Amino acid sequence: MNALCLAATSFMQPELPVATSDDDVVRAAIGGDRKAFETLYRKHSDRVYGAILRLAAFDHARAEDLTQEAFIRAWQKLDGFRFESAFGTWVYRLAVNVALMSIRARNADPVSIVDDEHLPDIADLDNPVRAVERDELEKAIAALPPRARAVLVLYDVEGWKHEEIAIELGMAVGSSKAQLHRARGLLRRALGDKP
Amino acid sequence: MNDLDYLRQMRSLNRPVAPRRDLWAGIEARLDEATVAAVPRRRRAQPWLMAAAIAGVAVLGGSLGLHLVAPTGSDGLASASEVHWKPTDPRLSGAAVELDAARMELTQAMQDSPDSAALQRLLLKTERQRDRLRNLEKQAG
Repeated sequence: MNALCLAATSFMQPELPVATSDDDVVRAAIGGDRKAFETLYRKHSDRVYGAILRLAAFDHARAEDLTQEAFIRAWQKLDGFRFESAFGTWVYRLAVNVALMSIRARNADPVSIVDDEHLPDIADLDNPVRAVERDELEKAIAALPPRARAVLVLYDVEGWKHEEIAIELGMAVGSSKAQLHRARGLLRRALGDKP
Repeated sequence: MNDLDYLRQMRSLNRPVAPRRDLWAGIEARLDEATVAAVPRRRRAQPWLMAAAIAGVAVLGGSLGLHLVAPTGSDGLASASEVHWKPTDPRLSGAAVELDAARMELTQAMQDSPDSAALQRLLLKTERQRDRLRNLEKQAG
């Protein structure tokens, strides 16, 4: 797993912001131009939706709600956009935060807490994992406990660092690493157990 | 699947996904609500700002009054329950108007936020200032 961690840091890089600057369109949207904001939505919705979908356990209905919520919050917060990053990066981070807030809210649910507490011992989870279809991988990720899934998706798929994950999820960096370790173990077992 | 294959597979999930339906109509409809909700929030803040500004002006006016009317002693504070106070001394009338306006603004703001400690402090301060000026007026005859 150490090799995996090392490989992850070098292999997983955050998706680069879009090449074309949105600054003029963003300025128009800040001025209240809804067509401009629609342009921004059309340009960035797929990336935002993809990230939210992965965090929302590939539940399309929930991802749709969260995506709408994310863009509405973006509209409300537009006047706070300082052009220090690409708009795409800004709205992506905002959207991930919306999804994580949803996970944090659900974590108040005792069922979710039980999920996390009952993460199995991973010592026996080094089963070989066969190559799987994307659908199968998505289903296995969706079945993970919410916080473990969030850490796994943010680290292994989205390319975030543990420090960033810890801040966004309100946990210690060590907890983020532990959750990732457990999530990978659970994923390996889920995929390796299949015939 | 080795670790590299695992990472490659995980990385393959990082891709844009088009929503199954166009979400823009729902977003646009809620932008109206978001805008409407944002405007009253700003308007609600205005009485606070106005009250604070007016209270500040009143304090300034009161200080001016203190300088214009020399104190000769104290014979008790005037009642804060009297709503309108119209000083006969023209040098105090401006401050009185400002204080009454501040009091009215604060009272209105407190209808929206009756438990606001900040508003209560401002109201108390305004009434004390008003009582002080009334007292000075009495002393000046």
